[in-house]
Amino acid sequence: MAINEKDIDAILETYPAKVKRNRKKHIIVRDSSLAHQEIEANTRTIPGVITNRGCAYAGCKGVVLGPIKDIVHITHGPVGCGYYSWLTRRNKAKTPPDGKNYLAYCVTTDMQEKDIVFGGEKKLAQVIDEVVEIFKPNAITVSATCPVGLIGDDIGAVAKAAQEKHGIPVMAFSCEGYRGVSQSAGHHIANNGVLEWMVGRGEMTEAPAKYSINILGEYNIGGDAWEIHRILEDIGYHIISVASGDGAYQDLKNAHVADLNLVQCHRSINYIAEMLEIKYGTPWLKVNFIGIEATCRSLRDMALYFGDKELIDKTEEVIARELARIEPLMEQYRKICQGKTAFCFVGGSRGHHYQKLFADLGIETVLAGYEFAHRDDYEGRQVIPHIKVDADSKNIPELHVEPDPKFFKLKISPEKAEELKKKIPLSYYAGMNIEMKDGHIIIDDMNHFETEEFIRILKPDIFASGIKDKYIPHKMGIPSKQLHNYDYSGPYAGFNGAVKFAQDVTAMFTTPAWNFITPPWKSKPLLEGQYQK
Amino acid sequence: MKKETVNVRNATENPCHMCMPMGGILPFKGIERAMVILHGSQGCATYMRRHIAGHFNEPIDVASSSLNEKGTVYGGEGSLKQGLDNVRKLYNPGVIGILTTCLAETIGEDIDRIAANYVDERKPGNLTIVPVSTPGYGGTHFEGYWVTAKTIVGKLAQKTKKHRKINIIIPNISPADIREIKRILHLMDVEYTMFPDFSDTLDRPFEKPYLKIPRGGTKPADISRMPGAPATVEIGITVDDSVSPGKYLEEQYGVPLYRVPIPIGLENTDRFIEVIRKITGTPVPESLELERGRLLDCMIDSHKYNFQGRSVIFGEPELVYAVSATCLENGVFPVVVATGTRNRKLTALLKAKSAACPVEPHIINEADFTQIREMARQKKVNLAIGHSDGRYLTEKEGIPLVRMGFPIHDRVGGQRLLSVGYTGTAMFLDRITNTLLENKYKNYRSGMFEKFYHASNE
Repeated sequence: MAINEKDIDAILETYPAKVKRNRKKHIIVRDSSLAHQEIEANTRTIPGVITNRGCAYAGCKGVVLGPIKDIVHITHGPVGCGYYSWLTRRNKAKTPPDGKNYLAYCVTTDMQEKDIVFGGEKKLAQVIDEVVEIFKPNAITVSATCPVGLIGDDIGAVAKAAQEKHGIPVMAFSCEGYRGVSQSAGHHIANNGVLEWMVGRGEMTEAPAKYSINILGEYNIGGDAWEIHRILEDIGYHIISVASGDGAYQDLKNAHVADLNLVQCHRSINYIAEMLEIKYGTPWLKVNFIGIEATCRSLRDMALYFGDKELIDKTEEVIARELARIEPLMEQYRKICQGKTAFCFVGGSRGHHYQKLFADLGIETVLAGYEFAHRDDYEGRQVIPHIKVDADSKNIPELHVEPDPKFFKLKISPEKAEELKKKIPLSYYAGMNIEMKDGHIIIDDMNHFETEEFIRILKPDIFASGIKDKYIPHKMGIPSKQLHNYDYSGPYAGFNGAVKFAQDVTAMFTTPAWNFITPPWKSKPLLEGQYQK
Repeated sequence: MKKETVNVRNATENPCHMCMPMGGILPFKGIERAMVILHGSQGCATYMRRHIAGHFNEPIDVASSSLNEKGTVYGGEGSLKQGLDNVRKLYNPGVIGILTTCLAETIGEDIDRIAANYVDERKPGNLTIVPVSTPGYGGTHFEGYWVTAKTIVGKLAQKTKKHRKINIIIPNISPADIREIKRILHLMDVEYTMFPDFSDTLDRPFEKPYLKIPRGGTKPADISRMPGAPATVEIGITVDDSVSPGKYLEEQYGVPLYRVPIPIGLENTDRFIEVIRKITGTPVPESLELERGRLLDCMIDSHKYNFQGRSVIFGEPELVYAVSATCLENGVFPVVVATGTRNRKLTALLKAKSAACPVEPHIINEADFTQIREMARQKKVNLAIGHSDGRYLTEKEGIPLVRMGFPIHDRVGGQRLLSVGYTGTAMFLDRITNTLLENKYKNYRSGMFEKFYHASNE
C-alpha cells in the first residue's frame, strides 16, 4: 500500500505542534526524482515519546567493548547498568586454549548511597585489585554510568594507577548515560579507546600472512562472525582481529599490520576505521555480509582490492560452490515469502543490511530506519562535511590522530586507491536512502506510537526490529522478527546464515496460530436457516 | 542459625538483584490506564523495558525524560514536563508515575515539586501524577517495588466511609498467580480491592484492535477507597514497615493489617485462607478443601523422591521465604538460601521456620551468583530454584534449575507460572519433583554402578 505526505501528516497530527515539526524532519518518503533528500538524525530524543534508543553506556560497554572476550569489563556504578548489559546482546565467543573468556561474567562496583556521597574511587580501585587476582585477564576496562561523572570520580586516574600496579592495560571510559543523544555517543567513546589503548600495543611490524585483514563492526550475534570467518578463510584471507565479536585484546593490539579493514557496521565503528587509515595507512572497505547477493558483492570487492588473479579466481570458485549448494534450499522458502512486505527498523546498520536479505527472499522493505544512526548512514558519507555540529556532538571527544612513527605503512598507493574508489566502496559508504524504492518510508528514531500507526496504514507482512517493540506487532497480528538478538537463533550472515534466516522467517509466516484468530462462533452467521418458498 | 554470610568483597560478580526503578515500574503496570516515565537518561527506560518485555512477552511502554548533558547541568525540569505533555497526548492515561533514576537523584531533582508545579501550570484534569523517588543506588528492585506501591497508596488513598472490600496487597508474583488468588477469593465469596493487579496488563490475551494501554489493573478510585476497608491482607512478611502499604493504611487510617507469606506451600496457603476466613467470617468452601486434599495426596506421593533434594533457593526475599517453606514441608531441604538484597526479616523468619530441620540452611544476604555458586558447591546442592540468572549453576556446576520468579529470560512462560494456592503449589511441587527425577533418571544406572559394583570390586 502506498503512503503519501498527507498520511504522514495525519499520523503526526496527534503530537503537540512542536513535536510534530520535529518528527516531520525525521521521516521521508523516498523520491528518486529529487537530487537529494535530507533527513534529520542523531539529534535529541523527544522526552516522553517511547523511543527505542539507549544511552552512551549501552553503546560503549554494551555494544563495542563488551564482546572483547579476554578483557574483564567492570561497570562502575549502581547495580542496574551492569546487570542489564550482562550478555544480553548474545555476542558469542569461543574460549581460547588459555581459558581467557570472561563474557559470562558481569562485574560491577554496585555503588551504594554512601559511595555516591563520599565518592567511589577507592571502591573501584579495590574492585580492580580483586578482578586481577581472581581472573588474571589480559586487560580491564572500566565503564562509567551516570552518577560517576556527576560526583566527580576520576576513573582515568584510578585506571592509570591500577595499570602501573598490575602491569596490564586498565582503560577507563567516560561513557555516562547522559552523554550525547543515544548509544551512538558510546560507540564513539569506545572507538577512541580501542584506537588509543589497544591497537598498536602489539609488536608485529609486518602482516603475518598474505591477505591479512581486520573485521570491524561485526559483533558475532548468534555466530554471524563464525560464518563470515568460514567463507573468508576458505578463500584465503587471514583474519588478524575482529572488533569486536569473538574479538580479543590479544589480537586487537596487532590490528595495525592488516592490509585492509572491513567495515560491517558503519555507524558503530567508522570512527576507528577512519583513524586507522590515518594512523597506520590501512584503508577500509564497506562490506555487507547480510544477504546472498550482498555477500557475493562484498567478496568480489575485497578480491578487487587486492587485485590478484589467484584470489579473484578463488573467490569466484567459492561463490559458485556456495550458491550451487544453497540456492535449491532458498527456493523452497522463496515460494512462501515472495511478494510479501517488511518493516526493517534496527540500530545503525542492520536497518539497511537486512533489506538485502529480505530482497533475496522476494520480500520488499516498505519502511526502514535506524534508531541512532547519523545522516551519513542514510544519505552517504559525502554529507559529513555538511552535518551541523551541535552541542551534543561536541561533548564527545574527537581524537586527532597522526601517522604513527613506528607502525605507519601505506598499504596501497594513493593512485591505486583513487582508481579503486571508482569501482568499490573504499573508505566510503553510500547509505541506505539510495537503495530504497520510490514511495517507501525512511524513518529515523521511530517510536512506539509511530510504529503502531505505520503498521495500521501499511500493514506489512513482517516487522523486523527488537524485543522492546516486538510484541506490539504480535498483538496486531503481524509476525515480528528480532534483529538485535535474532530471537535466540542465527547466524544470519553469509550463505548459511541466509538459509537459516529464510527458514526462520518462513516459519513465522506459516505459524498455524494465525489461522485461529477468529473463533468459529464469530466467523459463522449467528442464525442459520433455509428460506422457504 | 550459625551461618550467615555477609559479602566482604567489593566486586559484585554476576549480581542477583536489579535496581530500584526496575521494581518501581511493576506496581504502576498494575493500575488501570497508567503510564510510567523515568526521569533520567533514556538508557534506563530502554534497558528496563527490554528486561520486563523479555520476561512477560508483552509490550512494555515506559517513557523517559531523555535527559542529556544540558539537562544534567541546568536541571531536567523542562524535559520532564515536556515528557509528561507527550505521554498525555499520545496515551491519554489516567495515572502517570514518575520514577527517578541515579541521574535525577544525583543532580538533586525535586520531582514532588516539579509534579505539583506541572499540575498547577497545565491543569491536566482527571490525571493523577505519582512521583516516586527510586535512586538506582538506594536499594534493589525489591525495595523499588514496595516503596512505589506504598507511595501510590499514600498518594491516592482518601478517608472514606467503611465498606466491605478487603485490601489485598500483591507482591511481585506472576500474573497467573494473581489470577489464582482472585479465583480463591471468588470461591470464598469475598469482596476485595487488589493492588497492584497486573494479571491482565502484563499477560494480555490476543485481541484486536490493539490497545495502547492494556485493559485491567486496579482502578484508581478503588485505591482511593482502601482506607475504608475492614482489613488489609498484605502478602509480604519480609517487607520493611517503612515501605509497607498495609502499614501505612494501618497507621494513617486504622485499617487492621494482616501480613501473610505468599501462599505457596500448604501451610502458607492455609494461613492465607485462615486470615480471610477470620476477617470475613465466611466458611471455607468444600471445593477448596478438595484442592487441599489433592495437594496433601501429592505431597505424600512425592516425598519418596523429594527427601533426596538439597536445594539452593535465591531471588527476592519474599519469594525465597515462601519457596523455602514449601521445600521444608516437603523434605527438599533448603541448604543454601540467598537474596541479592539486605533483608534482616528474612534471616529471622527462616531461622524460626527451619528450627526443626536437620539441615541448617546457609543464608546469604546481599548475595551475588559467585557466592551462591561457591556455597552450592560446598554444600553439595542438587537442585536450584530461582530466576533465570541461575542458569550458570546448571552450566558450570550441573545443578538443574527450576525456574521461578522474575526475571525468566531463557525460557517462555514466566508470566504463566502458577505456584500459589493448593492447586498452584501442587503444580510447583511437581516441577521440583520432576526435575529431581529427571536428574535421577539421567544418572541412575551410572550412579548405581559406581556405588555398588565398582565399590564392591575394589
